[in-house]
Amino acid sequence: MRITEGMRYSEVLRNLSNITSQHAEASRQASTGIRVGKPSDDPVAAAELARLRASSSQTSAHLSTINNVRGDAELTEATLSDASDVFVRLKELALQAANGGLTADERTTINVEVTGLKDALLQLGNARGTRGYLFSGSQVATSAFDPAGVFQGDDEAHVVPIGNSAPTAVSTSGAESFVVAGGRNVFADIDSLSAALATNDETGIRAALDSVDASHKQLVNARARAGLVLSKLDASQSVLDTVDTEQQRRAQQAGAADPYESYSRVTVLGQSLERAIAVSRQLLDIGGTNRF
Amino acid sequence: MGSLNQLMYTARDALAAQSYGLNVAGQNITNVNTPGYVRREALLETRALGTATTGSVTVAGLRRATDVYIERRELNALGSVGAASTHDRELAGIEAQFNDLDGTGLGSSLDSLFASFSALSANPNDPTSRAAVLGAADNFAQRSGAIANSLATQRDDLLKQAQGTAQDINQRAANIAALNRRIQLAQAQGEDAADLKDQRNNLLLGLAQMIDVHTIDDGKGGLVVQGGGATLVEGVDSRNLIVDLAGDGSLRFSMARDDGGAGTEITQLVSGGKLAGIKEARDVDVFETARKLDVFVFDVGNAINAQHAAGFGLDGSTGRRLFDVSAVSTGAARALTLSADVAGNPAAVAASATAATLPGGSGNAVALADLFKTPMSGGRTAAEAYGDIVGGVGQRRAAVAQALETQSAIKDQVQAMRESVSGVSLDEEMVSLTKFQRAYEAAGRVLTTVDQLLQDLINRVGR
Repeated sequence: MRITEGMRYSEVLRNLSNITSQHAEASRQASTGIRVGKPSDDPVAAAELARLRASSSQTSAHLSTINNVRGDAELTEATLSDASDVFVRLKELALQAANGGLTADERTTINVEVTGLKDALLQLGNARGTRGYLFSGSQVATSAFDPAGVFQGDDEAHVVPIGNSAPTAVSTSGAESFVVAGGRNVFADIDSLSAALATNDETGIRAALDSVDASHKQLVNARARAGLVLSKLDASQSVLDTVDTEQQRRAQQAGAADPYESYSRVTVLGQSLERAIAVSRQLLDIGGTNRF
Repeated sequence: MGSLNQLMYTARDALAAQSYGLNVAGQNITNVNTPGYVRREALLETRALGTATTGSVTVAGLRRATDVYIERRELNALGSVGAASTHDRELAGIEAQFNDLDGTGLGSSLDSLFASFSALSANPNDPTSRAAVLGAADNFAQRSGAIANSLATQRDDLLKQAQGTAQDINQRAANIAALNRRIQLAQAQGEDAADLKDQRNNLLLGLAQMIDVHTIDDGKGGLVVQGGGATLVEGVDSRNLIVDLAGDGSLRFSMARDDGGAGTEITQLVSGGKLAGIKEARDVDVFETARKLDVFVFDVGNAINAQHAAGFGLDGSTGRRLFDVSAVSTGAARALTLSADVAGNPAAVAASATAATLPGGSGNAVALADLFKTPMSGGRTAAEAYGDIVGGVGQRRAAVAQALETQSAIKDQVQAMRESVSGVSLDEEMVSLTKFQRAYEAAGRVLTTVDQLLQDLINRVGR
């Protein structure tokens, strides 16, 4: 085969261009850590990455939702804890008032504290979170209880999507916690105790003791349910964190460059490029100096 | 038996022939880097006078070192590379629109929309969360519109490119026809016309990159050139390639004579060159991608609309759409906009499942967020359907890039073969220079010798 000047130059140009191009691509992968920079680099991986990115975004959204509702859930649990503490104090006062040696004045004094505790309980029942009133159900803009303790909300649970399972209720029902939907109307029970204290009705006070106990249990149960919501959120967050890690691992597997492979490739191609330049110089020298 | 005078004439002929050889070698050296230059060889032969041998030499002509089969293969290879490179470049444009790997594409904006539904469910009566839903929906609509517009613009540009390429083809065809005429005239006058043939060959090489070209030598110095399966140049006449749109909006190629008569459609015959690449990219890839995008956006928009309409806004409204979606899928991506029902009115975002659960009900926001995992386009979820589009575009580009690599390697190989036959080797030319130089010197010595002999003869006779 005849070897001409044009063939010699074309060969040099093609070889250098080819190795330079491969070296540039290997350098890009090594420096960015990304193997799939565009869909055509690996179409199957690109489609997988698109789906993984969407799933990962959904996981992030769920984690963000958990963070958003966690504050209200914690506040609900703390509020119900305070409410049950109110009944602990109410029971102490009721026991004290049930003592047959107490005078009417002393019972009136106890009643002042009982009335104050009812106000405190009303305030707790009307606690507000980031979404609005905690115990109003979906009626978040309306206080859960009027000054008399009448429930003004509904029993609609606040549901959010926090995983692949069914939406999760993250609120605690105000109706079940404070009024008859849960078995006892806690405000009415306080009112009964207060009325017995006001009329110095020792029998009534003794009778109210059981009601106070029942209301206390109702609030303790409600607090347990609120705690369960927090546990659910914690469990979901833990699962989502694991899912997130797995999704990132899969995305890494699908689209990331192996650092050892890419660095060694850059080194090998760098050496190839140096050799190609040296060979090119020799090839061009053959045709370039002192003919004949 | 020859005389001294005859020997002198022989030396004269030798000087002329070797000088011609030197001239040809010099011409080859001069054009060592000229694109399309075909090396020449001086053809020398003994001069005959009737049946007698004079022992002299004459220049029989000039030979262009070509191989017609290799030249044809080069034209084919250039056509294949022209089609593949154009196709690849245009697919790169499509691919860029769907490259979500940097997190700024349509898929990402759809993810943000679903995430905004999730965030809304956490705070259904929060104006900021509601505004975020509208912002994400608007962003999705604008992004899909931008991609659809970009694809439509690419399609328009490809039509203009095809028309520009046709003009270029027609100009080159006219130039080849003109060169055919000049070559025929030159050959009729006994000239070799090698330079003109080089020019014509250069035009053919350029033409082959635009359309599949086949050539036939007409035996009179002219070339019949077929482009896209139809005659483009015949002798001194050229025809016009016309590019316009068929009824379905696809490219239509026709070949017409200069007399303005109706052209013959050759659309299906064009199989190579830039023109074939443009047609494939425009009428298959851009068209199909735009269609898939339209179907995707149409399905997603309608699914979200149906769920949104089932819910209630803070203002008690229901039945409102989140998007304005076109009646049919064709053009849906370009037409998608945030619905006037909700634009600028965050309260109209339907987060609640019933009127009774306003304002804190999150049932419909949850249902909207749940659409993420609901099949809504061709039995696939939105993320899966979008991933299919991205994968499809990548697959197509990867296949064409692979074809381009293969065709380029074939082209390089064929060009190396052509260069081996037609290219200039400085080594060879230096040898030729030396050969003709020595022969020229020797012919000069013959002349000197004859001159001395004649001198001797004159001197002796004159005594």
